[in-house]
Amino acid sequence: MKYILLMNGTKPGVGTYQAWTKTDSDTHMAVLQTINKELSASGEFVATQGLAGPDEASVVRGQKNGVPVTDGVFPESKEYLLGYWIIDVETPDRAYAIASRISAAPGPGGVPTNMPIEVRQFASPAPKS
Amino acid sequence: MKYILMMNATKANFDLYAKWSKEDLQRNVAFMRAFSKELKDSGVFVATEGLGWPNEAKTVRAGKDGEPITDGVFAESKEFLAGYWIIDVEGPEQAYKIAARVSAAPGPGGTRGSMPIEVRQVLGGFADLGL
Repeated sequence: MKYILLMNGTKPGVGTYQAWTKTDSDTHMAVLQTINKELSASGEFVATQGLAGPDEASVVRGQKNGVPVTDGVFPESKEYLLGYWIIDVETPDRAYAIASRISAAPGPGGVPTNMPIEVRQFASPAPKS
Repeated sequence: MKYILMMNATKANFDLYAKWSKEDLQRNVAFMRAFSKELKDSGVFVATEGLGWPNEAKTVRAGKDGEPITDGVFAESKEFLAGYWIIDVEGPEQAYKIAARVSAAPGPGGTRGSMPIEVRQVLGGFADLGL
């Protein structure tokens, strides 16, 4: 079963992260890298991506003439996708366990961030008509 | 440059979509298939996925002993990722143009949609980020 683990954050949250010391963010990244290696070794790794910061986000809508209308204004409370992992695991509990390990990655001073990780299944195939 | 085009929706939006007629759904899905095929044919396609419904979503945090603590309660206003496309294009303008096309995917009765599509640059996997 494929699951996607979404790391979401608000603009203030991202601002806090950007204020971490280099040592803290290096330690954090090293743990994420270890998790990735373990997932690759166990055959559960499918993909991971990191997204650009919220400041570069735009919302696009199409007009009748097909010309895009872009808007870069979002509510303060908006959760932005910061990055994700796609994993292929046997059970939902295994997906939750991996998400929990990411949540426990160290933050400032080595204290676990306890960051919430959203766990979602992929859509099942559309019913045959 | 890689960009991700995200369809976000609240639970209320998902509930409305669930009430579409079969004909409306088929028309919308046919559009999405043609759109993905077009992206592939033009060489900008990287990946696409549709996600499961919000009622299956969980938030996971690590407990003190490292055990996962799951929670399935979300704010009414929460935007859930419904699906995404990753494209590899020349620049943001091309990404916005492509996003505008999918924004106009047909809705109920074949009316032209104007769904908001969030566009963000993808920085890459851990290898690309020097990890």
